[in-house]
Amino acid sequence: MTSVKFSVNQLTVYYAIKMGMQNVSMDINDRQITALIGASGCGKSTFLRCLNRMNDLIHVAKVSRCTWDEANKAFVPTADATGAVLMDGDDIYAPTVDAVELRQKVGMVFQKPNPFPKSIYDNVAYGPRIHGLAGTQDELDQIVEESLTKAGLWTEVNDRLKQPGTSLSGGQQQRLCIARAIAAGPEVVLMDEPCSALDPIATGIIEELMGELKKDYTIVIVTHSMSQARRVSDRTSFFHLGELVEMNDTEQLFDNPENDQTKGFISGRFG
Amino acid sequence: MFVLAGIIVALAVASYFLAFRRAGHWGETQGLKHLPRFHGNFVVTWVLLASLIGWAVATASFIWVRKKPESLDPALIDMLLADQPFYSLALSLIFASFAFLTVWFSTKAGTAVRRWLETTQRRVMLVAAMVAVLTTVGIIASLVFEAYRFFELIPIQDFLFCTQWSPQTAIRSDQVAAAGSFCVAPLLVGTLLISFIALLVAVPLGLYSAIYLSEYASPRIRTWTKPLLEILAGIPTVVYGVFAALIVAPYLRDSGAYFGVSVSSESALAAGLVMGVMIIPFVSSLSDDAIQAVPLSLREGSLGLGSTKSETIKRVVIPAALPGIVGGVLLAASRAIGETMIVVMAAGLTANMTVNPLEAVTTFTVQIVVLLVGDQEFDSAKTLAAFALGIFLFIVTLVLNYFALKIVREFKEQYE
Amino acid sequence: MTLSQEALKRRAKRRTAETRFRSYGIIALGIAGAMLLTLFFTVFTTGISAFWRHEALIEFQLTEKRMKIDPTASYSDADYEKLARSAPYNLIVKDAMYALFPDVKKRKHKKHLGKMISYGAEIALRNAVLKGKAHVGDNFKLWVPVSDDLDTFLKGYIDASLPEKKRRVKDNEIEWVHKLQDNKLIRSSFDWGFFTRADSREPEMAGMGGAIKGSFYLLLVTFLLSVPIGVMAAIYLEEFARQNKFTDFIEININNLAAVPSIIFGLLGLAMFLNFLGFPRSAPLVGGMVLSLMTLPTVIIASRNAIAAVPPTLREAAIGLGASPMQTVLHHVLPVALPGILTGTILGLARALGETAPLIMIGMVAFIASVPDSIVDPSSALPVQIFLWVDSPERAFVAKSNAAIMVMLGFLLVMNGTAAYLRHRAEER
Ligand SMILES: Nc1ncnc2c1ncn2[C@@H]1O[C@H](COP(=O)(O)OP(=O)(O)OP(=O)(O)O)[C@@H](O)[C@H]1O
Ligand SMILES: [Mg+2]
Repeated sequence: MTSVKFSVNQLTVYYAIKMGMQNVSMDINDRQITALIGASGCGKSTFLRCLNRMNDLIHVAKVSRCTWDEANKAFVPTADATGAVLMDGDDIYAPTVDAVELRQKVGMVFQKPNPFPKSIYDNVAYGPRIHGLAGTQDELDQIVEESLTKAGLWTEVNDRLKQPGTSLSGGQQQRLCIARAIAAGPEVVLMDEPCSALDPIATGIIEELMGELKKDYTIVIVTHSMSQARRVSDRTSFFHLGELVEMNDTEQLFDNPENDQTKGFISGRFG
Repeated sequence: MFVLAGIIVALAVASYFLAFRRAGHWGETQGLKHLPRFHGNFVVTWVLLASLIGWAVATASFIWVRKKPESLDPALIDMLLADQPFYSLALSLIFASFAFLTVWFSTKAGTAVRRWLETTQRRVMLVAAMVAVLTTVGIIASLVFEAYRFFELIPIQDFLFCTQWSPQTAIRSDQVAAAGSFCVAPLLVGTLLISFIALLVAVPLGLYSAIYLSEYASPRIRTWTKPLLEILAGIPTVVYGVFAALIVAPYLRDSGAYFGVSVSSESALAAGLVMGVMIIPFVSSLSDDAIQAVPLSLREGSLGLGSTKSETIKRVVIPAALPGIVGGVLLAASRAIGETMIVVMAAGLTANMTVNPLEAVTTFTVQIVVLLVGDQEFDSAKTLAAFALGIFLFIVTLVLNYFALKIVREFKEQYE
Repeated sequence: MTLSQEALKRRAKRRTAETRFRSYGIIALGIAGAMLLTLFFTVFTTGISAFWRHEALIEFQLTEKRMKIDPTASYSDADYEKLARSAPYNLIVKDAMYALFPDVKKRKHKKHLGKMISYGAEIALRNAVLKGKAHVGDNFKLWVPVSDDLDTFLKGYIDASLPEKKRRVKDNEIEWVHKLQDNKLIRSSFDWGFFTRADSREPEMAGMGGAIKGSFYLLLVTFLLSVPIGVMAAIYLEEFARQNKFTDFIEININNLAAVPSIIFGLLGLAMFLNFLGFPRSAPLVGGMVLSLMTLPTVIIASRNAIAAVPPTLREAAIGLGASPMQTVLHHVLPVALPGILTGTILGLARALGETAPLIMIGMVAFIASVPDSIVDPSSALPVQIFLWVDSPERAFVAKSNAAIMVMLGFLLVMNGTAAYLRHRAEER
């Protein structure tokens, strides 16, 4: 039985006066992998960054819920984003919600591996440290080991935890970033094109890893690779020009797309 | 006194650990959302802030006490003044304790203390950013206030329209303080004369250096010669002053004597020459930037038409880079006008109204120093005059600087 | 291809014009370089001698009569120290000189004899007695500094061939000093005390210890004020403030402050800190406050540049883990920006070290004959000391002034070198 983790309703983002994404509504299931696909600039990253309120940090970005304006025959953004994104039924854009606390529960992995210029250990331990997840040094060690193990990196780095995180290979760095994200104790992990900077072997390892991780976490992944979306995800949503065109179970969407645009995109055509 | 300071520090440290421990207990029952560290930091921040505020309040009060208000018992005033640091720290301690108690009783298990802490930190940072504004306000306020008092003694038309500057006489016979011996004209002439000489030296030297470095010099020569200009910019002005007074001025006087020209031992020329050397880097570095910003396509156009490199530079590059160069010259002029030590040591103290560079002239900055060195009554026209000169100087340099930056900015935008 | 006579001529002319233009640049740089070299050269040649001074080996007789101390009596320690402190050492020094040249009888000549030795001899003698190295009744030999005129003569800066009236060292003094030299009673030694003594009216006893310590206190106050304030302001402007009218205003202010002549900051210090707030005159505390306001724009601008250069991906990484913006800055951005901030700070402090005019405004030009013990004691500073000494008529002071310049330039070299090294290392990474 799957339950809904995020329920998104009429979510809209404007960058100053430029529309970034408009009127997106979807449900994201708990402990599943949801893939976001679409052409470049169609608002996938924008959508992803709404789920942990990273857009709050871009001064020009305005996240809101839109309404249908009958007079103009168009969707217009409202003043705020109240009710636009519910996580476990709670509004994450409510004024009482602390975005910082939200981001602990909704971790993020970025396109380019971006380890801190610190040791491997300190990279992974940073989240637990700032959130006070470990009372003692032993507990912290344990969290670090667990997270690195989950990220499939433990055996490769356990003898050089004090070395800088930047000394690892690209694929290892990205797994370090995943380990770092899950060490902070999230419920959801957002991944924005996590494999685009990696070679096929490293990509394979990370895809395998995602399959493991979905037992414990809800994962939302942006990808430009149709085959990757197909391989790893349970559900897929297709964005076009800032709008959500179609969302369905992955097999359904790829084998039997309902929308012509979707069909064109997955078969390599635009139209 | 040290005991009090110690107590404040001890209070800060103790408050941290107390808040830390209390929040630790809360954490056990309420989950780890409320990190003990934040509680500790929050209380410590406020204790320290409050003691700073207390100290500032005490200092402000002492300004008032020192005026010996009649509402206060003279014995009390003497007692307070005798031990200002002690009483200031005592007030600090009171404020700090108050802050501790307030924070202690207003934070509870569910308080969003991290947000409070960060808001406090952000406010403190904002105040730090405001220091620059406060400094400007302070400068303007002190200049305007003291200059206003000066113009109450000396009418402004006497200050502006006349030819004689001799503040010394005014001091000796107080009654004739308004006899018109404070007059900026000679200072203005002297300042402009010296700055002009300085620019006469710095502009060609700086400009040709910049042209050579950016157009002709190989990277190797560049890396070796750029530090030369940086060293010129890094030498303290007092050293240039020594150089002007001990080497250049005697040299000019002696060579003048050799050719039968009388050169004063403190001359505008000596000061201007050395100042010119000092401001070479200002001209050269901005000109260098400007020349390098000129797009390659412009040069290629000219070279392609068969011009030589020097012709290209003269007819295309320099005209295109002119705004940047002018900006650099204005900045250098602003430096020259505001420069103090070289002129104090080499230009002379007597206010001659002359444009003869071989004579001693005086400048705004020199007179500000002359008027304020030594112990004077702070209310005399003589000391106050320094602030009137200060306003002049402040405005002139600010205007020059404003236009310099404006020109340079517009120039840069043009090629972006 | 053949060219007409005229075209050839024109080409040659253009070629020479080209070379001429090019050589102007070299000449300009050459003049600047020559000026710099002349400056360094004259400072060095004038100043180097001031690090040494001539000393004479004199035998002093600490007679009971002169010292007014009875060696057999038992004084309390405090009493003994009082007596030893107030003994007439000037007379003992004179006695010693008369004893060296017993055939000098005329009063005028005796006076010349007496002023050959610096009053530093008295101080050295007193210290020896107080420290228990010399005792009443002893004959005590000690190397003591000679007077500044004699020192200048011995260093070869006084031409003995001038008529006697025109020089400060008289014929008989020259004769005596030659005699002392023949007996190996004169030596030149490195004057370590020059770095530790305070200023003095007597050039041979004047040191720059007070000025060095004063400058140290000044920079300390400047550092402690301008770095925290500057870095906080930079963080605020770069990381938290939104771009609006208000922040533009702050920014314009900072840029303008960077261009305000230093003497204006001195006026601010005088009017605000001394007259309005009643802070102590001539103190490094006030000097440091003024200098920190001057240095602030440098620190802010350097810090902002350093902070802005930190890659945004680092911030995203921290924010994505649930770090607050403040934590992101303090834990990640600031450590990465630190070398840049440090470089800017050091350059700012180096400029502050050489600043003179504002210090003159707040009374740091006063003659101060003691080394400051704290930031509120009246004090001198290196650049001001240079200014004061160079204005003195005595040649020895001028030499000292140049020596002080050498020391100050040395400090500047170290500071700028450190900054350059830090920048270099940051660029390599
Ligand atoms: N910080 C920003 N400021 C202004 N506009 C932005 C900003 N970030 C994104 N946009 C605009 O919003 C739109 C959606 O961008 P978004 O980054 O979400 O696209 P994307 O689907 O992730 O593309 P890609 O596949 O290339 O990553 C784009 O048109 C982009 O130009
Ligand atoms: Mg994207």
